[in-house]
Amino acid sequence: MAAADSPSAALRHRDLCSRGIRLAGKMRLDVINLLDTYVERQGLDASASVAAVEGVPVAAVERWDEQTGTQRLLENLVAYRAFRALLAQMLEEQREQLGEADTTLGRALAAVLLQVSAFTYHLEELLRLESRGPPGEEGAEPPPPPPVSLFERKLRGLRVLRELAQWALRSTRDLRQLAKASPGSGSVPSPPNSP
Amino acid sequence: WNWATYGLYLLLNICSLKVSGGLVQSCGYIIPESPVLALGSNFTALCILNESCLDFGNIYANQIIWKVKNRVVPKEQYREINRTVSSVTFNVTSSLAPFLTCNILADGQIEQNIYGITVTVGLPPEKPKNLSCIVHQVPELTYPMTCTWDPGRPTFLDTQYRLKYRWPQENFPDCIPEEVNNSCTIRDAQFFVNLEVWVEAANALGKAESDPLVLDPIEIVKPLPPHNLSVNSGILPTVLKLSWENRISAAVMKLKFNIRYRIVGDTSWMQVPPEDTASPRTSFSIQGLRPYTEYVFSIRCMKEDGVGYWSDWSEEQTGVTSEDKPSKGPSIWRIIDASCSPASWTVRLMWKALEPFEANGVILEYEVTIRAKSSIPTPPEKYSVNTTNLTLKLPNGTYEVTVIAHNRAGASPPSVLLIPASNSKAPVKSVRTLPKDGKLWVGWTAPNSYVLKYVIEWCLVSNSSDCVIEWQNEPGNVQGTYLKGDIKPFKCYLITVYPLYADGQGSGQSVKAYLQQDRPSKGPTVQTKKVGKAEAVLTWNHLTVDEQNGFIRSYTILYKTIDGNETAVTVDPSKTEYTLSSLTSDTLYTVRMMAYTDEGGRSGPDFTFTTQKFGKGEIEAIVVPVCLAFLLIVLLGVLFCFNKRDLIKKHIWPIVPDPSKSNIAQWSPQVPAKHNFSSKDQMYPEGSFTDVSVVEIEADDKKSFSEQDLKPFDLLKKEKSTSEGHSSGIGGSSCMSSPRQSVSDSDEGETTQNTSSTVQYSTVVLNGYRDQTPVQVFSRSESTQPLLDSEERSEDHTGRGDSTTQRQQYFKQNGGQDETNADRSCFERTKPADEGHLVGFTQLQIPGRSSQPLGLGLEENTQEAALSDTSAASTEGQTVRSEIVDKNPQSVDEMPKSYLPQTVRQGGYMPQ
Repeated sequence: MAAADSPSAALRHRDLCSRGIRLAGKMRLDVINLLDTYVERQGLDASASVAAVEGVPVAAVERWDEQTGTQRLLENLVAYRAFRALLAQMLEEQREQLGEADTTLGRALAAVLLQVSAFTYHLEELLRLESRGPPGEEGAEPPPPPPVSLFERKLRGLRVLRELAQWALRSTRDLRQLAKASPGSGSVPSPPNSP
Repeated sequence: WNWATYGLYLLLNICSLKVSGGLVQSCGYIIPESPVLALGSNFTALCILNESCLDFGNIYANQIIWKVKNRVVPKEQYREINRTVSSVTFNVTSSLAPFLTCNILADGQIEQNIYGITVTVGLPPEKPKNLSCIVHQVPELTYPMTCTWDPGRPTFLDTQYRLKYRWPQENFPDCIPEEVNNSCTIRDAQFFVNLEVWVEAANALGKAESDPLVLDPIEIVKPLPPHNLSVNSGILPTVLKLSWENRISAAVMKLKFNIRYRIVGDTSWMQVPPEDTASPRTSFSIQGLRPYTEYVFSIRCMKEDGVGYWSDWSEEQTGVTSEDKPSKGPSIWRIIDASCSPASWTVRLMWKALEPFEANGVILEYEVTIRAKSSIPTPPEKYSVNTTNLTLKLPNGTYEVTVIAHNRAGASPPSVLLIPASNSKAPVKSVRTLPKDGKLWVGWTAPNSYVLKYVIEWCLVSNSSDCVIEWQNEPGNVQGTYLKGDIKPFKCYLITVYPLYADGQGSGQSVKAYLQQDRPSKGPTVQTKKVGKAEAVLTWNHLTVDEQNGFIRSYTILYKTIDGNETAVTVDPSKTEYTLSSLTSDTLYTVRMMAYTDEGGRSGPDFTFTTQKFGKGEIEAIVVPVCLAFLLIVLLGVLFCFNKRDLIKKHIWPIVPDPSKSNIAQWSPQVPAKHNFSSKDQMYPEGSFTDVSVVEIEADDKKSFSEQDLKPFDLLKKEKSTSEGHSSGIGGSSCMSSPRQSVSDSDEGETTQNTSSTVQYSTVVLNGYRDQTPVQVFSRSESTQPLLDSEERSEDHTGRGDSTTQRQQYFKQNGGQDETNADRSCFERTKPADEGHLVGFTQLQIPGRSSQPLGLGLEENTQEAALSDTSAASTEGQTVRSEIVDKNPQSVDEMPKSYLPQTVRQGGYMPQ
């Protein structure tokens, strides 16, 4: 890997992995907290099924342990770019729906959106260290149009948050795998709550 | 001309205010309009005149005058660019006034304002420095990031500061400070991505940016302290488990901790070693604590790697360790009272309650065991006591006392005290005290033998309270300690040190001490014990302990006379008496006394005394010789008189012819040889007279007296003046019977005449000197004529009481019955005397003058009846005195003039 080419690159890779893992952990924590707030504020049932909602990246994958590091980074990058668009859309809808009244939910959504953006940056930087460079967003699949129905919007938002929590967990594992593969992987932090 | 000038002025005004399109159109203007100028820079302004005004009023640029706040700018700073433009150049300073005007001088006389601008002076912003940021965790679990910086010097202008931040791939909206220019808070910082932060400052004069600060906000977090602390007692009495909740997820930030704790009531904190709490956790067991002690705990946290800031200390939480067995036995001591019985002691055992850190719990009871150390083994006596003392009556002997304290966790090690039969071991030496740091230090020199421990006993010495003993134990290896108690200043303490050995005890060595001394609260009261001519012995009492306030080092006696200097004498404090000497005799002295401690003295009350005029023995030395001299003189006189007695007798007691040997005596067979009342009474018993007649005889010839009779009269006449009673006429001279002689005797011419005219005889009446009772009465006559009557009459004069009685009897016999009755009423007032057993009638009160004794020597049993009569007669005699005077005035004159109360045998004094 290109990450092992120079000590500084290795250090950079290790640092990105380490902080990425922590960021993913915090993101998961915040998303879980946000889910509670979202369900409450949107008047949804926490056990409501959102399987029918489409257009949200799914974290589940087969043969996860057989993936390469680059493949993991790319899948993560695609997913988080999608989440960034979805969350931005949710934030806009939330503002349209509730205005500035519910600042708590809006702030939480904005915070998660920022973290998704930050994690996206981490992934892009790691891909750069892989000498690949991040793929352009031009070729990415555009997010599906938002549902017309308000209820469907709420369900989609719930699905987005749930899948994001799952992705945060998967990303933590992916980055730990990535860190293990790097030469200076000895000090990569282990998450407190390993999935 | 004036009218022309005024018209031009109006024209300019009209031109200046010419309305064009609804707006006022000026004759000129200044550029730049409202400039903002930097301090220290040069500024040039142009005033441009309108062409229309030139044509209208012949106004040109050379007529322009620049003013700054009505102050004309010097012409040197002007420059005429063309005929319509004038410029002025300034160096911008802070004193530059805000208003710059362009004026024109029309026709050289009238100044007219063309235009004005406002100038703003300031500075461009400096580059912000010292940018730093901190992320505070807040209870809403967000992470606002506050950055602060140094904005630099004031700009005097409206300057905008903006905190800019961005991720490498994303920009964020600027953070604009509110009301301040040196800090701004980003609402929610995102971790784990480097953030570039910088500050931009901008105003009208420029823009400046700080150096960028690149950081991950997770590295500058000041987290919230852990909360929900709880303390649980551990299994061990020295362990407490502290639990808490962290308020920042370990997923976000791993923490390390500081734990501090202290005993409740203490102020200083102890801290758990930081390396023990350098890893993430939510509980910690603190060890090495004291049993049964309440502790306060507090905790704080920060990022595990030490990057960032410590949180504040958490709220405090208390916890109590569980009980443990007392760590040591109580200190024990005793007071032995052997005064009750010689064969036994009253032993008061005392022990000190354990300190909390020794008791390790609540002491439930003390177990006291007493073992007699004698050759005959006896079972120990055991007592369970809740207090800290125990009084026992024990036979004299050696005992071992053991005290064990019990709490819920167990028993303490035993404390043992050996009470020997006698304190025969070596005592300590040189007990001394020293006040130090507000406490009283006691030191001693240890004896040569090994001492197990020392007991220091002390008590407050006071007159008002008993000596309540306090004590403390000290280990055997020390030779001094501070008294652990409430030692008060100005109080006397008696301190005793006992050495305790393994097999006995040394006798106590005592010392008195003060923590702090003061002047005595009063001075001694001095007084004299004895005062002499030149010395005085002063005495006083020692001050009481409560009054001393310290050790009395000396007394000073201060004494002085009223106008003299004060003299001071220092006296040893052990004395209570002092003799002042060399005093001046018969002088008033004032003396007072002062008692001194180390801190000063105080004077007692003044006492005054006067020294004596004569010294001891001086009076005796004068009086005794004088008396001796007097006695000697008297003795010599007596001897002289004795030797010359014949001569003296001849002079002062001439030989008087004895009437009994006279011819008449030989002639009259019944002349008594000696006058006697009793004989007279016998001669004239009461009631023997039935009538008395007075024989008047005319003495018609003085020449019948012989010359020999007259000589002794001349001699005796000289003595008449000294005493009426000592009539030398008794001597038998014939002149004594002369009427003149009678006058001389009585000083009553009339009476004398009556007497002398009656018969030639001499009556000598001794009345006694100055109303004294006459000792002896003589009645003598040298007459050669028969004197039967005169003899009787002279008998009337011999005893005054008798004569009075006789006379009164005479009046009674002559008086009417009415007078007798009247006398009875008067006599009844003397009834108490009458009812009593009177030795004799004593006196009678004569109205208007003094009475005198009348009756003498009357026998009680025989004279009682006569007494009543006599009294009545006497009273009657007084009441009819005026009648008697004519008949016998001499009897009235013979009445004594003094009133002498008489002794009454029974019944007391008889009122008159």
